[in-house]
Amino acid sequence: MKNQITAIIKKDILGIISNRRMFAILLVVPIVLTVFIPTMFILIVRFAPAEAADFQKLLAMLPLPEQAEASSESILRLVLNNILPIFFMMIPIMAASVMAACSFVGEKEKKTLETLLYCPLSLKQIFRAKVLAAFLLSMLVSAISFVVMFVVLETEICLLAGFFLLPDAKWLLVLVLVAPAISLIAITLIVKASAKAQSVEDAQQGAVFLIFPIIMLLVGQFTGVLLINAGILLALGIVCALLAVLLLKQSMSHFKYETLLK
Amino acid sequence: MNAVTLNTLSKIYTGGKKAVDSVTLSLSQGEVFGFLGPNGAGKTTTVKLLNGMLSPTEGALSVFGIDPSQNPEKVHALAGVVTEHAQMYDNLTGIQNLVFYGSVFGLSKTDSEKYGLELLRQLELTDAKDKKLAAYSTGMRQRLSLARALIHRPQILFLDEPTSGLDPESAQNVHSMIRRLAAENGITVFLCTHQLRYAQEVCTRYGLMAQGRLLAEGTLDALRCRICSGMTMKLKAKNLPADLVCQQTDDLTFKLPINSEEEIPQFVRKITDAGGQIYHISAELPSLEDIYFTLTESFKSPEADKEA
Repeated sequence: MKNQITAIIKKDILGIISNRRMFAILLVVPIVLTVFIPTMFILIVRFAPAEAADFQKLLAMLPLPEQAEASSESILRLVLNNILPIFFMMIPIMAASVMAACSFVGEKEKKTLETLLYCPLSLKQIFRAKVLAAFLLSMLVSAISFVVMFVVLETEICLLAGFFLLPDAKWLLVLVLVAPAISLIAITLIVKASAKAQSVEDAQQGAVFLIFPIIMLLVGQFTGVLLINAGILLALGIVCALLAVLLLKQSMSHFKYETLLK
Repeated sequence: MNAVTLNTLSKIYTGGKKAVDSVTLSLSQGEVFGFLGPNGAGKTTTVKLLNGMLSPTEGALSVFGIDPSQNPEKVHALAGVVTEHAQMYDNLTGIQNLVFYGSVFGLSKTDSEKYGLELLRQLELTDAKDKKLAAYSTGMRQRLSLARALIHRPQILFLDEPTSGLDPESAQNVHSMIRRLAAENGITVFLCTHQLRYAQEVCTRYGLMAQGRLLAEGTLDALRCRICSGMTMKLKAKNLPADLVCQQTDDLTFKLPINSEEEIPQFVRKITDAGGQIYHISAELPSLEDIYFTLTESFKSPEADKEA
């Protein structure tokens, strides 16, 4: 049984890697979020003249500890530990949605789902394999993105500002709790949508709603209304994980061959 | 144990369409059963019901004693299915596809590769084994689907139009493979088709469907008995006696019903005595096609009368 499920997971992951369009999305979005945007922040902090009126306005908006003497180090620390983790959360959502949409609705679109359903695995086992494939890929993309981001950021900060900035505990919570939980929620939303959706794009729309809370969190960081800290992230992670498990169980119980092959 | 049993099986879709209407049928092991009927007769729906992809509205069914609506995965382990909608992965090669489906059926990689290559050889796909499926023609895909359905050495094959899109040579090849599988390996075959001539070559028993109903079932001889007891004498002749009751099909060709071959000499004598000339004579039993059209026509006419 384990080998059969592994075969499906392997096939799904290889399938998305060999699909150029999907692979490009998996590659470009993390690069923009973990390399392009952070580099922009560093360059602005380093090179924008501190006296410039616009920059002062931006600084005034940022919830810095001692605003009057905002050093580039404290600004960079805020960017690194408060703003980038939220940008980062979009990666698991994106990777999970792309993969889940491809592996559920993509199979339906290409008429390969029916063939898979004729195998001696129960519908639940097939779905579990597919959810697991999307989850594993999402975690893999997130982990690689994190490593790439830190290598690039530390190099840039060291070269331009002359010091190292270490990620704090919030990153650990994001990586081991929040990212897995929200990627599971994204997968579940896609799986739910996939029963009715006729195209990959249709199914992906379901997960777009997940981006809104993240944008709100981002606004919260810039305005200081809801600054993330380890406690908030922990609570958020636990709520998301519970929600993910609940949604997953509920969505799996609704599946029948008949509704899937419509 | 019967390979397949259908007992007053009905399926009504959500929209209210009755796709299968009280069908009762049983198949013994090793039989090649031709399930015949026009498009929309309910053949594909029956195959889906037999594989648990659809749940019956009424009646009961079983495949080797297993109820597919309760334990579909157990039926899948015993069955190989080829349908128009069961495609394979374009991004994988022929052999990669077979190895994948082999592993999903619990075979080891070496076993599925070895048997996969053997099936590709039998289906004349060896040259294309390393080509991606995207480069396969419709006929090649169809043959690969058959290889895929056989990869786990099933006990029963459900084939829904397995030779549609195949050229005559490939179709012939597939049919002789089906015959061989049934004869040598004892595989039961449930073959849905509307290619009646091919069906007559391959099948041992038939079921004729129209609008969800099973019009008749049985061996070719049994079906012949059911629609008419005799045969048709075809002759090419000139100056036939005026009192000979026959149907002219062409300038010099005529058809007349006879009860058996024993009657032919009498007719020949009658024609030659009256000065007629015979160029060619043959006796024909009704083909599956004749039976099919007779049955579907007789099914349509009461319906048509009702509508009128």
